[in-house]
Amino acid sequence: MRYEFRVTGRLSTVMAEAFPELERVLAPEQTVLFGQVTDEAHLYGLLIRFQGLGLRVLEMRQLPEP
Amino acid sequence: MPRSSASAAADGGGEPRTARTRTTAPVSGHGGTAAHLGPTGDPLLVAKFSVPCVPRSIVRRQRLLERLTEGAAGPLTLITGAAGTGKTTLAAAWAREGAAPGPVAWLTVEQDDRAPGVFWAYVLEALSRHQIALSDEVGQPGSADFVDRSLLTRLAAALARLSRPVVLVLDGLEQLPVPAAASGLDFVLNHAGPQLRLVLISRVDPLLPLHRYRADGRIREIRGPDLAFTRQEATRLLRGHGLGRYENSVDALLARTEGWAAGLRLCALEMQRADDPAEFARSFAASQSAVADYLLTEVLDAQPAATRELLLYSSILDRVHPDLANALTGRTDAEWILAQLTRAHLFVEPINGTPWCRYQPLFAEVLRMHLRHHRPGLEPRLRRRAATWLADTGRLAEAVEQAAAAEDWQWACARMVSRSEIGQLLTGPEAHRLERAFSGMPSDLAGAAPALVAGACALARYDTAGCEAWLDRAEEELRKPGARPTGEARFVLSLLRLFAEPGAYVTEPDAYVTESDAHVTESDAHSGNSVGHAAEPVAQRRRELTEQVPRQLAETHPEIEALRRYGLACALQFGARPDEARKAFAYAAEGCSGEVAEGVRHSCLGRLALLEAQFGSLSQAEGHALLSLEVAGHRSVAPTRRSGIGHLALAAVALERAELRDARRHLALACRSPDAGHDPVTDTEIALTRARLDLAHGQWHAALTAVTAADASPRPRAPWSAQRMALVRAAAELARGEPGAAIAVLEESGPGGSAHTLALARARLAAGDLDRALSLLAPLDRRPGAGTAERVHLRLLRARAAALTHDTEAACRLLHDALAAARPERMRLPFTDAGPWVWRLLEGRPDLAAGHAWLLPGPACVNGAFRTGGRPPAPVVVERLTDREREVLQRAAELMSTEEIGEAMYLSVNTVKTHLRSIYRKLAVSRRSDAVRCARELHLLRPTSGDGEVTSSG
Repeated sequence: MRYEFRVTGRLSTVMAEAFPELERVLAPEQTVLFGQVTDEAHLYGLLIRFQGLGLRVLEMRQLPEP
Repeated sequence: MPRSSASAAADGGGEPRTARTRTTAPVSGHGGTAAHLGPTGDPLLVAKFSVPCVPRSIVRRQRLLERLTEGAAGPLTLITGAAGTGKTTLAAAWAREGAAPGPVAWLTVEQDDRAPGVFWAYVLEALSRHQIALSDEVGQPGSADFVDRSLLTRLAAALARLSRPVVLVLDGLEQLPVPAAASGLDFVLNHAGPQLRLVLISRVDPLLPLHRYRADGRIREIRGPDLAFTRQEATRLLRGHGLGRYENSVDALLARTEGWAAGLRLCALEMQRADDPAEFARSFAASQSAVADYLLTEVLDAQPAATRELLLYSSILDRVHPDLANALTGRTDAEWILAQLTRAHLFVEPINGTPWCRYQPLFAEVLRMHLRHHRPGLEPRLRRRAATWLADTGRLAEAVEQAAAAEDWQWACARMVSRSEIGQLLTGPEAHRLERAFSGMPSDLAGAAPALVAGACALARYDTAGCEAWLDRAEEELRKPGARPTGEARFVLSLLRLFAEPGAYVTEPDAYVTESDAHVTESDAHSGNSVGHAAEPVAQRRRELTEQVPRQLAETHPEIEALRRYGLACALQFGARPDEARKAFAYAAEGCSGEVAEGVRHSCLGRLALLEAQFGSLSQAEGHALLSLEVAGHRSVAPTRRSGIGHLALAAVALERAELRDARRHLALACRSPDAGHDPVTDTEIALTRARLDLAHGQWHAALTAVTAADASPRPRAPWSAQRMALVRAAAELARGEPGAAIAVLEESGPGGSAHTLALARARLAAGDLDRALSLLAPLDRRPGAGTAERVHLRLLRARAAALTHDTEAACRLLHDALAAARPERMRLPFTDAGPWVWRLLEGRPDLAAGHAWLLPGPACVNGAFRTGGRPPAPVVVERLTDREREVLQRAAELMSTEEIGEAMYLSVNTVKTHLRSIYRKLAVSRRSDAVRCARELHLLRPTSGDGEVTSSG
């Protein structure tokens, strides 16, 4: 499964490293992270990681397989 | 990963310890709540159960405090919000303000607690630490991984009996993702009645059926938007930081942080530091970065290089000690830096009354991120360094956890074996954590040490077969050419073998060779030659167990010596040598010193008590069993490692005294203990006691069924199981009036010591075969070392024989002897069991019955005097309480903490503790709450206003 997450604020390189499995694109006042998500457990783990780092998830959606 | 990684603050001491000496720092009652008296008052563990510190500069949030008070008037209050929204701070401030409707039991849930058994054990502990007396009937979870509904039912029932509200705060509930924990909470909430007020703090909604609680109006919620700072609160925050002049920045900051508490506080800190606070506020508001990212990076970058390095390096730790931080940075300024950070409330929060501190979870995550980014590859090296420091200061579990995180298994295993720390996997407060830390170890590591550690882990899980397999592998590794096994490795191997295969250490014909422990069994000194051929490897094994222990090991690792003695005693018990085993357990219990060995002491005393009960020394057995339970009540024996054998011994004592209700109660507790179903000796004894209890109730049919079922059970049993079962079976046959069948059963099971002889003689008497009965009894008359049980039974049988020959005079004399022997132990069962002839004799001879009122059923008799009333017998107080002790107890009943009692009575805390211990001993209880309840039952307390009614009436 591929997913895309949109979180508030632009993430620095350091913070982005908390999500080495995702790629990062900066948008105005937002960061889009996207990439392969192994399974449900991984997905929920990512959400917990966002929360643990004080990041707010604005949007999350599954992407079509390339 | 939310909150700092595995196992924050579960165990550990206050000061860095030298290898063995754990500091027993005072259990200071922070917040006046945590004042549980434990000899091993581990401050870090206390921190887990106490209301967290609240920074003085905190903004008091009246609207939320009021909601919390409203919420606590009902059954459930839920505080949810993301990291850094001030959930814990709010609840802690509330708890400290005293607005709660009753005592506040606090539990900080950590990653380590996610196993349901551990979680519920901590909940029970939290309640008991806050003087909320639940009845003993509640018991403890049987295993770490599973909690049965009946425990929760009992907990809920005990809570429902409370006469005053109690608040239970569970902080960090997101650590419990298992639906089972939530359904358990839901169950308890629904059945605990109106007195339980649960406050849940979580980053995510717990898996409770919240919609139902909402529909019923049984829940109050304080959620993310509620926790967001209002304009007024944010203004007060700035003023609190001396930034009152910049109030016009508030709106911008609020908009940018959306009222996020941690963000606002970081802003305030940065503004304090900045040359132009207003400018900082402006640039922050205008920045497009993520709030946490921006602020934390700003704050971190603003720190001096030394501070930054310290923060980054120590971010791998769950909690930081200045010395440890120095060890990581290679500098010496950690204490100063940490003190600075603590004062500034920056990243660091102190752990109540210790030099340790903890990073705020959000910051710890970010710090780790920075470490990985700025110093790639450094983390494993830091972890190894930390592991060494932790191990050198005696924090083995944490050391192993660090080594495990660095995947340095060889280091961890070598440390366990070469320093003989392996005993801590089997006993001691950190056993469970160690086992968990090693659970991720791959199974294909080279060398003997990993195999030995894996074997010990298997043993800790009661998996003896698995343990044997690992030990075989370790032995193989040790034999490999060039292996050069150390004495420690060989010793560890022998020690583990002793537990995995107790049968291999005792053989029937040879006597127990007692090495230097000459006083254990004097009779062995001259029987050393009788070692048969089968015993040769046995003797060899035992030699390995003694010779290879480096001398100093016994001193530096008392738990190893304790385990060795305990293991040998278990082998004797397993090998049907009860007399020697009894002495060996006493010797082993005596040799248990230090906190780590408490687990062994607990087991030793329990087993000793059981053997004493069988021997007939009921008072001694009772004392040792109670002591065993008391030892277990302390934190040093994890709930999941507690043995039920103490309760089993109490059941046996009660049974011999014909106090059948007590016997049944203790038996039920023993059956619920974690080791029931794992240890062959315990299992066999449980089955035996259950059958005998049925028999005492006159239910011979049930007894026979139980014995048959036990005989047919595929579970491993002690080798003497069949023989002891035969005794019960024979007694059951006698009870149903089939002496012939009884004789057949006994003859089939073969000769087996005096108990067997007595049973056979009894069956012969019942069959009318007087001569053969008497000839069986003859050799027993002068047997040295016969216990009370044997003497009572022997005299009773002789009295019966005399009565059968109508020699009433002799029968009365013998009965008198039997009564005299049984009286000190109040051993009633042999007489109630013997049949109506005893009572007929006594009726005819009032002089004989005089002084033996204790024998009569109904009103029990204490110390020779009758007690009336149909209540179950209260505990026997042998020694009077002194006036001082009464005074202490009175205050304890008024829910005063140890410190408060000390202040009120002008005594030192230690003196108060001494009084309490003495009270516990005299009342035969192990906890303060039990002492108070017991004292109430015995009317030792003055009635007080309100009467401190946080006890269960039961």
